[in-house]
Amino acid sequence: MRGYWVRRAAGAVAVLLLVIAANFFLFRVMPGDVVSSIVDPRFSPEAKERMRELFGLDLPLHSQFFIYVRRMLTFDFGISFLSQRPVWDELRSRIPNTAALLGSALLLSSIIGTWLGVKAAQRRGGLIEKVALVSGSVSFSFPSFFVQLVLLLLFAYTFPLFPLRGSVSIPVPQGTLPQVLDYLWHLALPAGSLVLLGFGSWAIYVRNLMVKTLGEDFVLLARAKGLSEERVLWNHAFRSALPPVLTIFLLALPGIVSGAIITETVFSLHGVGKFLLDSILGHDYPAAGAAFYILALLTITSNLAADAAYSIADPRIRVGHRAER
Amino acid sequence: MPMHRWSFLAFFLILIAAVFGPMSLSEDPQQPVAKPFAPPAWIGGDAPPPFSATLSPADPSVQIDWKWASPEDLSIRGNLSFEVDSVSASLKWETPGGDVFNLASFEGNDDWAVDIDARDVSFKRSLGISPFENAANLMFPSLGRYIISIEGTPPSGGSLTVALPGGKWGLLGTDQRGRDVFSLFLVGIRVSLLVGIAATLLASVLGLSIGLASGYLGGAIDSLIMRAVDVLLSIPVLPILMVIVGIWGKGLWQLILILGLFSWMGTARTVRSLALSLRESCYVENLRSIGASPFYILYRHLLPEALPVLLATISLGVPGAILAEAGLSFLGLSDPRVISWGRMLHEAHGFGAFTAGAWWLILPPGLGISIICLVFLDMGRAIEEMADPRLLKGGRR
Repeated sequence: MRGYWVRRAAGAVAVLLLVIAANFFLFRVMPGDVVSSIVDPRFSPEAKERMRELFGLDLPLHSQFFIYVRRMLTFDFGISFLSQRPVWDELRSRIPNTAALLGSALLLSSIIGTWLGVKAAQRRGGLIEKVALVSGSVSFSFPSFFVQLVLLLLFAYTFPLFPLRGSVSIPVPQGTLPQVLDYLWHLALPAGSLVLLGFGSWAIYVRNLMVKTLGEDFVLLARAKGLSEERVLWNHAFRSALPPVLTIFLLALPGIVSGAIITETVFSLHGVGKFLLDSILGHDYPAAGAAFYILALLTITSNLAADAAYSIADPRIRVGHRAER
Repeated sequence: MPMHRWSFLAFFLILIAAVFGPMSLSEDPQQPVAKPFAPPAWIGGDAPPPFSATLSPADPSVQIDWKWASPEDLSIRGNLSFEVDSVSASLKWETPGGDVFNLASFEGNDDWAVDIDARDVSFKRSLGISPFENAANLMFPSLGRYIISIEGTPPSGGSLTVALPGGKWGLLGTDQRGRDVFSLFLVGIRVSLLVGIAATLLASVLGLSIGLASGYLGGAIDSLIMRAVDVLLSIPVLPILMVIVGIWGKGLWQLILILGLFSWMGTARTVRSLALSLRESCYVENLRSIGASPFYILYRHLLPEALPVLLATISLGVPGAILAEAGLSFLGLSDPRVISWGRMLHEAHGFGAFTAGAWWLILPPGLGISIICLVFLDMGRAIEEMADPRLLKGGRR
């Protein structure tokens, strides 16, 4: 158990360092001198030299890198070129929105997808299996922004049931409950569209796993013991298929994060993904690097959470006899 | 060949459309053809279609049978030349009600350039209306027959073109710049296909070589490569692509290169597991024992084994690349001069297709992307079934 956790944590740290290193070097291979891109070319050479000192660009590359790592780990991302405010102040208000979007989309699509997949495996050839197969094809082939644009056109423009854009109404309503409801009202269409696109592939994976599991001998044994069908399905078959289901979560996560960036753009949400796009389009490199880092951090954290769930669901890890997967 | 699968036929049709569709266009798709956000002709109602006519020395008068609402603009452009010394001619506009407007007068000189636009203030002044009125409305008061003619001295050369931008256009209407959406749609097929196939081919070559090396060589190289695959698969690719495209530039070939470099992981995994199982098989061991070099075994035996699987992964991988290209274009991170379906959706989202209610800007490119992806998915499954007939037995996967 402990060995498993040490390995997982070490892996997470390695990925994090890799992301930081990629960030550091990506933003330094961009064409042109860093200083020349942010100061007026009419500055005197002495002033430019002072700027280089001010930004620490006169230091050797490796000490620049160590400073960079330290600042990334302490969330000190510097000043945004565009807004002239600390990047972290800009990001702090956006992280909860992105986390809410990602969290609700993941939770809902995993619940719906798992249920659909299990039911589809139980009754092969039935209506539920057809629904699962079709929604799977949809989620593999329909671009998220297209589905979201159509949803916007239908439910926000033609029939104005939902807001066209933004994370909160302006002006913000008074009182806690109206605020929460207003927030959920704004979240419904973005999160709903992500669920609509996400549950299909999930259902197909779960169905394939469950079809395999339902053919095994212990399921036959459970049926022979006279257990009820629901009990066989959920307590016996699904329980043993649960660890691989959790690995689906790991596989689906990067796609959902990518989808969240596009979703935030379509619905103009106040989130990290939209901030990343705006920073890239505005050549605001500190902000873009920080937003990229935060997205990677969110992914790595969810990865670790899934690992924790995996270790609880898989008795081989929980008991710790065979730490190998 | 399983030609009964609909997707092979559909792929063939898409290829034909991609090759011959843009060739069949007579006009540059970037040029405006009607007013912005003009609806498709088949739902346009009584909005006027685009109209143009030419006045020439042989044909100095044109009749227009007008059956629609008045257009928003009218333009007359061209050159006229006269042979006589003392020219006295004028351009007349006669409405069905019998009103006659004098649009332009030609006096004295023998060469005239005409450039009239109903939106010009000077033109409105010459008609005697205020600059805030719509001159085209005044010139088209009712339905019926309009006559535009050159009267007075007959011209000897040159021609004038009368153009009315339409309020409805073609099969799929126009976009925010008045461009024909159907032409843009046809041109966009090429980008989707090119990026999808080229990036996936690149990724497959990379994945094949990395997977073969990893599976066949084993040991430290194998575990290093597989660790890298794990890491790359656990990081969302879109933000990486966004950052790289934002820094390196938005060209089409750069995009293909970047997409290829970030999507070889799945193929590498599949090929590796195949190579692992083959490495342990008896015939490969026999080959080794008679002194075959690793390269020979890889090239002559493992590669042919891997080919059907590879073909299936290529076909299954194309939708990913197409969706990634469309996503980046939708975010505005593509070359604005290259027309692609993602770019069309980007412009629809960014330039007010919603407030214009212009669904014809959203549905065609979106459905196009989806259909191409579905076709490649189904082809991939068909190839998979050919390569591994066991998949067929249990019905559809």
